[in-house]
Amino acid sequence: MSFLLGQYVEADSVVHRLDPRVKIVSTVMLSLLILGASAPHCLASALLLGLVMHLTRIPFRAYLKAFRPVIPFFALLFLLHLLFTPGTPLPPFGAWAITVTKEGLFMGGLVVFRFGLLVFAASLLTYTTLPSDLVFGLERLLRPLKALGVPSHDVAVMVFLALRFFPVFLRELDRMREAQAARGRVVRGGSLGLKIRAARDLLVPLAWSTLRKADTLAAAMEARGYGNGPRTYMRTFSLSFRDYAALFLLLLLAAWRLLCGIQA
Amino acid sequence: MIRVENLVYRYGSQGDPVLRGIDLEIKRGEYLAVIGPNGCGKTTLVKHLNGLLRPSEGTVLVDGMDTSEGRSLREIRRKVGMVFQNPEVQIVGMTVEEDVAFGPGNLGLPPEEIRRRVEEAISFVGLETHARRSPHDLSSGEQQLLAVAGVLAMAPDCIILDEPTTYLDPAGTRKVLDVVARLHLQGVTLVHITHYMDEIVETDRVVVMDRGRIALSGSPPEVFSEQDILLDLGLEIPSVTAFMKKLRQMGVPVDPRVLTVEDACREITRLLERRP
Repeated sequence: MSFLLGQYVEADSVVHRLDPRVKIVSTVMLSLLILGASAPHCLASALLLGLVMHLTRIPFRAYLKAFRPVIPFFALLFLLHLLFTPGTPLPPFGAWAITVTKEGLFMGGLVVFRFGLLVFAASLLTYTTLPSDLVFGLERLLRPLKALGVPSHDVAVMVFLALRFFPVFLRELDRMREAQAARGRVVRGGSLGLKIRAARDLLVPLAWSTLRKADTLAAAMEARGYGNGPRTYMRTFSLSFRDYAALFLLLLLAAWRLLCGIQA
Repeated sequence: MIRVENLVYRYGSQGDPVLRGIDLEIKRGEYLAVIGPNGCGKTTLVKHLNGLLRPSEGTVLVDGMDTSEGRSLREIRRKVGMVFQNPEVQIVGMTVEEDVAFGPGNLGLPPEEIRRRVEEAISFVGLETHARRSPHDLSSGEQQLLAVAGVLAMAPDCIILDEPTTYLDPAGTRKVLDVVARLHLQGVTLVHITHYMDEIVETDRVVVMDRGRIALSGSPPEVFSEQDILLDLGLEIPSVTAFMKKLRQMGVPVDPRVLTVEDACREITRLLERRP
């Protein structure tokens, strides 16, 4: 879970206390704004995100950690834009078979910058919101879709269980690897074929044990009355002044962006 | 409170039945143990008691409600709770208190009532200091206590324990059994499946299962006096009982029908004091 989403970081801040629904909506809206943003708008968004991150009282180092797993992806993205954007060639690279353009450099930079902001926005959400609050917020936000036949509660429970059981599976995988190592399997330094075979020998029993676990979990949930009529929650959330304030600021931002879009 | 009549169960429509005609009545407040070798149908039987499985033939009635009728299922699951063998797999919450809140939430209770029940259940099993922690940080014993609390929060009349101590260390086992004993004192009906003979000496009645049938049924001393049948089924008798039987075979005139260390001590001191 930790490297998928970033883990909740305990701290006492305004951002932590915001309603999870407000935080989810804000993150989604900000992400949409960032995706199509021009360079100046990106800079403005960066400033805004920086300010909010400062408000969370979580050290900036923690946010940087969220980047480690996506660095290869970013590098690829940058290279693709660098090499395949037509425009004015840059002299130092002209000598080789590849051409690098000024526009390519700019676009690559901008795209990576945008995705970087997205990662910051996503980690802002997951660092300051308990997973269960996230799921609760998601459930409440999806509730209007019930009319269209979307089982909002089941969707929320699915997300929840995925988060909850991810570490369990990692541990199970470790156990299996150890059990196979104990019987003499050496994978490190082997050929590709050997590695593929080793992966297969791990995945099949893992899938098997996963299905068995899922079976027990389903029985345990059923035994506790899941799926027999409407559900309620222990937690209740109500929007306070700061939630409305946050939503208002967000709307202002969106309106400003829209106006800029019309002018351009 | 639970009545099982001529219960037959088979997986699919053909094939050998796993349960071959079970008749069983469980009284309110009774503490019942179910023992038997692996594959004898213990778990299959108890899964019928709260409607997780529906009989192929025969009926299961919980306070008069038929488990094969879908509309009573919610009430049946509230009345009859279940604790499974593997503590890790039955936990659905991200924190201890949220996991306990899962059951009452499924009953559709108002938030204040859920909160009240969660706190009560957590303090009953003694996990107050862990209420806001992740279940992953708990020991297996504590996780099993959490599973018990999750069932308790539904205010059940009966709790089924399916080998609840198999995955636990001795300390965890002791804590779970202690909670079980307190539940019995509070009048909760208990059905306890186990492989450990020492765990059933405190029960009111023992049901021994073999290949889908009830082979023996009676109070713990009655059942353990049938040592031959038990050994045939690959089961054991409590080590204290075995010890006393051996003593008697060696010519020491003790009563072998004791089950606990305390009773054995009393029996032996009685014998020693009678001597000059």
